Amino acid sequence: MKTTLLDRQIPLDRPAPAAPADHLTLRRGAARVLLGNWTGASTVPSRTLYPHQWSWDSAFIAIGLRHLSVRRAQQELESLLAGQWADGRLPHIVFNPDVPYGAYFPSPDFWQSSRAGHAAGAPAAPETSGIVQPPVHALAAWLVHCADPAESARRGFLARVLPRLTAWHDYLLTHRDLGGGGLAAVVHPWEPGMDNSPAWDRALARVEPAADTFRRADLDHGDPADRPTDLDYGRYVRLASAYRAAGYDDRVTDHRFALEDPGFNALLVTGELALARMADHLGQDGARHAGRAAELTRRLVDRLWDDDAGIFRARDLVEDTLVDHTGIAGLLPLVVPGLPADVVGALTDTLDGPHFRAPATGLVPSNDLTGPTFDATRYWRGPAWFNTAWLVERGLRTHGRDARARSLREALVAEAGRTGFAEYVDPLTGEGRGARQFSWTAALALDLLHTGHEPDLPPADHAPEPALTGPGLPLTDQEELSR
Amino acid sequence: MLKTAVQEQLLPGDTLQAKWEFAQQAGYDAIELRGKGDLHFASRLDELKQARKDGVVMPTVCVDMLHFLGAFDEDLRRDALVQMKSQLTVIAEIGGTGAQTPASYGMFSRRLPPFEPPRSEAEDREILLAGLTELGEHARREGVTLFLEPLNRYEDHMVNRLDQAADLIRATGLDSIRIGIDSYHMNIEESDPAAAILAHAGLIGHAQVSDSNRFQPGAGHLDWRAWLTALHAIGYDGHLALECRLTGDPEEAVRSVPAFLKRSGA
Repeated sequence: MKTTLLDRQIPLDRPAPAAPADHLTLRRGAARVLLGNWTGASTVPSRTLYPHQWSWDSAFIAIGLRHLSVRRAQQELESLLAGQWADGRLPHIVFNPDVPYGAYFPSPDFWQSSRAGHAAGAPAAPETSGIVQPPVHALAAWLVHCADPAESARRGFLARVLPRLTAWHDYLLTHRDLGGGGLAAVVHPWEPGMDNSPAWDRALARVEPAADTFRRADLDHGDPADRPTDLDYGRYVRLASAYRAAGYDDRVTDHRFALEDPGFNALLVTGELALARMADHLGQDGARHAGRAAELTRRLVDRLWDDDAGIFRARDLVEDTLVDHTGIAGLLPLVVPGLPADVVGALTDTLDGPHFRAPATGLVPSNDLTGPTFDATRYWRGPAWFNTAWLVERGLRTHGRDARARSLREALVAEAGRTGFAEYVDPLTGEGRGARQFSWTAALALDLLHTGHEPDLPPADHAPEPALTGPGLPLTDQEELSR
Repeated sequence: MLKTAVQEQLLPGDTLQAKWEFAQQAGYDAIELRGKGDLHFASRLDELKQARKDGVVMPTVCVDMLHFLGAFDEDLRRDALVQMKSQLTVIAEIGGTGAQTPASYGMFSRRLPPFEPPRSEAEDREILLAGLTELGEHARREGVTLFLEPLNRYEDHMVNRLDQAADLIRATGLDSIRIGIDSYHMNIEESDPAAAILAHAGLIGHAQVSDSNRFQPGAGHLDWRAWLTALHAIGYDGHLALECRLTGDPEEAVRSVPAFLKRSGA
């Protein structure tokens, strides 16, 4: 039989081109990923590795989806918020009831949210995990609103999500102020979203690993060399099961692992600023949130800034010490608009110094390139990730470092296309690692393709950098509001 | 930006030239013709040729009859094939790309009494493959494409979804047959219209647009951004042809569509 056009039908999971692609091809490729990973009310991070809805993934995905379908972007956040607990906690996974338990570990029968979390306010359905992830959601909701204010108003989007997002932040600022210093603590390495970061090594060493009574599903589709070790996994399981045994009650749980993470808290500041915008927009009290953002910014610097190292550190609340680790989370406070100028200067110096300069990708490695724990392929111990690059790019723009922001934006877009929208990238070789067709990689590349300045603009290094002081979101979002 | 077209009966004006004037001012890139039976479309050849000379862009024709290639009645079925072949020939002669037809329309619905059609599924398939092959081979000889349009379950009982059309087209082995998608029918039949477009990317040849309520885009509640993004994602380079009923002032309704589609990501 002769070959016809029919034989060349393009399958849904066709890998994106490996060569550098033009922006039209990139947009098409990113849209394919997001349309292909959509499940009807939300998006899976990856068809192969992550078959449910993840909290901070969904926030980043919504930021990209808003360019593809504002309605889907709103639904993405709404479906996540449907899993919110009565205590305000937004769980890090909302499980898809149609997916068999064996497809992912820990599955609903491990977390047992509807039963073990009942007293803490877990919903009867859907099943969720009991821990949280970084609060990117308010920022995402505001950006989704800005993408189409008329559609947002028509669906009553802000009015519906604002109370839930406020409750989420209230949970973090009350139940999770475990150190009494006014910052939110994480109680599990999965909570700051950087599961096996060396920042947790010392705190995790206090945890007795769970016996080998669980079966990891992540290794079915992931290369063991790219994933956390079995020993780490045993400790993750131990921490989670202890939390579950305490009914996910933060006041009762004896937290062996409790840290204030700079990335997590920086996103909380940005989220509070977004809530301020939303509240103002709805004629409510935005000043309360703006005040909280300013206060959080002060505490962030007071409690987590390491002036000698020029980077933010996590604070271990069990030992009440700053963790001696230089990682990407320490750069993420760049997204905070009200950061003191000297801190911003030091952070940008650190970003471009030997610890994070990775010419093979132009992205930012997750771990100190010069440190003893650096591992170029293992998850959050070295690989460069696209969501952190997106946040750093946003931070650079927030503080007027437009030229540096542009180079990072170009790198993010190029690497996303070149690697087939990889989950993460080896910063030494530029090789894509982890899952491909990864949703937030596609979403954030799409976002920068839509909202970023044109990368072919002449370099603006000589141009004066505008000072942006005080709390407030960057100019681009003000423009989005006025559209 | 995807190109737009509008079916001729939706345009004011007595001639194609007058209709084209209106269409251009409203922002359309082309007119989609309608092909009536009794070889009426062929009888318009002089009119169509003159319109083409006058610059009217007419890439496609959509059949406008009450019997089709999947008709139960053998005489009607044979006539439908004669009509469609003629329409393919005419659209080729005026430099167009193809003609669109459903398997049937208004003949039978499994959702309405008496629920069971007089012909078995196997017989339906045999009839459709025979008709499609005959028309597809004719289209290939003419250098144009036959677009098979899935209709919703209330209008046709044989080809409702893109996967059903794709299956038939693959079975013919002809690349001169493609799916002619319609946003209104897809909204009823596809669980995820955007995903269906991606899944059948290589087989989609034409696209017609109307909203969830069969009125002009913008009058209903379709997620146009997702649908249009999917067409962009597969590199679709055909027209979005307006085939709908109109609500509100008819001329204003027709005029509103190109701008609405553009705002929605076309």
